[in-house]
Amino acid sequence: MIGVAVAVEARRALASRVLRWTTLLLVVGLALIVGGMTLAVRAGDPQVVAKLGIVADLEGWAAVSAMAAQVTSAGALVAMGVALSWLFGREFAEGTVAGLFALPVSRAATAVAKLLVFLTWVAATALVLGVAVWLVGAASGAGALDEASATALGRQLLLGLLTGCIATPAAWAATLGRGLLPGIATTIGIVVVSQVMAVAGVGAWFPFTAPALWAIEPGTVSAAQLALVALVPLGFGALTALAWHRLQLDR
Amino acid sequence: MASVAIEARGAHRAYRGGAGVHGVDLTVEPGEIHALVGLNGAGKTTLMRLLLGMLRPDRGEVRLFGQPLPSAGRDVWARVGHLVETPSTYAELTARANLEAAARLRGVTRAEVARVVDGAIAELVLEAYADVPARRLSLGNRQRVGLAAALLHEPSAIVLDEPGNGLDPSGVLLLRSALRRRADAGAGILVSSHHLDEVARIADRISVMNAGRIIGRMQPGGRDPEREFFELVLADDVERAS
Repeated sequence: MIGVAVAVEARRALASRVLRWTTLLLVVGLALIVGGMTLAVRAGDPQVVAKLGIVADLEGWAAVSAMAAQVTSAGALVAMGVALSWLFGREFAEGTVAGLFALPVSRAATAVAKLLVFLTWVAATALVLGVAVWLVGAASGAGALDEASATALGRQLLLGLLTGCIATPAAWAATLGRGLLPGIATTIGIVVVSQVMAVAGVGAWFPFTAPALWAIEPGTVSAAQLALVALVPLGFGALTALAWHRLQLDR
Repeated sequence: MASVAIEARGAHRAYRGGAGVHGVDLTVEPGEIHALVGLNGAGKTTLMRLLLGMLRPDRGEVRLFGQPLPSAGRDVWARVGHLVETPSTYAELTARANLEAAARLRGVTRAEVARVVDGAIAELVLEAYADVPARRLSLGNRQRVGLAAALLHEPSAIVLDEPGNGLDPSGVLLLRSALRRRADAGAGILVSSHHLDEVARIADRISVMNAGRIIGRMQPGGRDPEREFFELVLADDVERAS
């Protein structure tokens, strides 16, 4: 019955304006910020250079990629966490959750289906973000479309996926808190923890920090440390499915 | 003999402050429409939530088709239709798409979905709104979509909380005939109402609920049912106060 749940959730997601607008705002926002910062650095704007730190010393595709990664690790995390909070929290906010009881499709299957649809959307969004970074890099004269540009695209893609993975606690929080706001608050908490630790340069083994740290300084995080990020959707996916299985309409 | 469609035995679930359902016995036989009538806060919705597994009882037991609820599997739930409180319509989907999703979630096979949904749309006269997004539907038409979703898979046990909410007179007539047809075909139906409305009046059996308990039965087709209902509730209130 998980197939039925996925089909139903996918249809709702495809029809929703929330996910479409989130993708659009994220892509346009990232393109504008990265494009704008590239131009500012080139013009020698001291404030932007100071804010970018070591990234301002980079050039070409490496610079575009690093700036996009910084924006993604914070901005995309917020957008993805909000989208996931909506996917789960809306059932409570709009009162549709009662309709998910007393069905041959279990609530745990519905929860897993929502997560699978979310991760598929994350993958699609990561791809679009990668293309956007590539276009911004090409338009801003980052260099030839060579190996460096392919590396930048690959890094952006992987970072998009990892960022979606560490947003998954929002689903659990939205379920336990019966609405969107607990999920959004949890997302903000993850952003704060990941950014503060990443800026301090610690936490490569901590899955919530590893993507942001890797975004700032790719050399400081190993492949094994990045692979640990997969534990977040697995662990919080299981917790969310359990919470839906045990759910009661008692509030 | 067919097993009882819906059954609660000593079902108890208390909220903080004492509200809830306190030791309710209730049965819905196959082929009957059983109305549950009570004022706001009497415990009707809590009881319906217990019957549908939306709440777990503190004490007592709920059975569907003789099967205790915790162990009810897909085959049991595929025979249940319900609408409790808000119709589960998704704003971004059209009425038809909402019904198609509801049909799939209720175990209707992909090959059968179009036929089943067309039938539901025709039964609740939703043709003019079938391709309208649910967010643009009136309250009454959203209620019709919710009822269609609850009934489209021809369930054998049906639980509807205040099903007449928001319906215009023609909607009420459609609902009454949809319920009567299913009861005649053997479905056990439980409907709730806060007064003896047009839906409750077609019931074969009427139970009156007050302060979380079933306090009495009323004879369908009585001469002055409203008066009878209020007398039962008042007598119960007086007894509890003394």
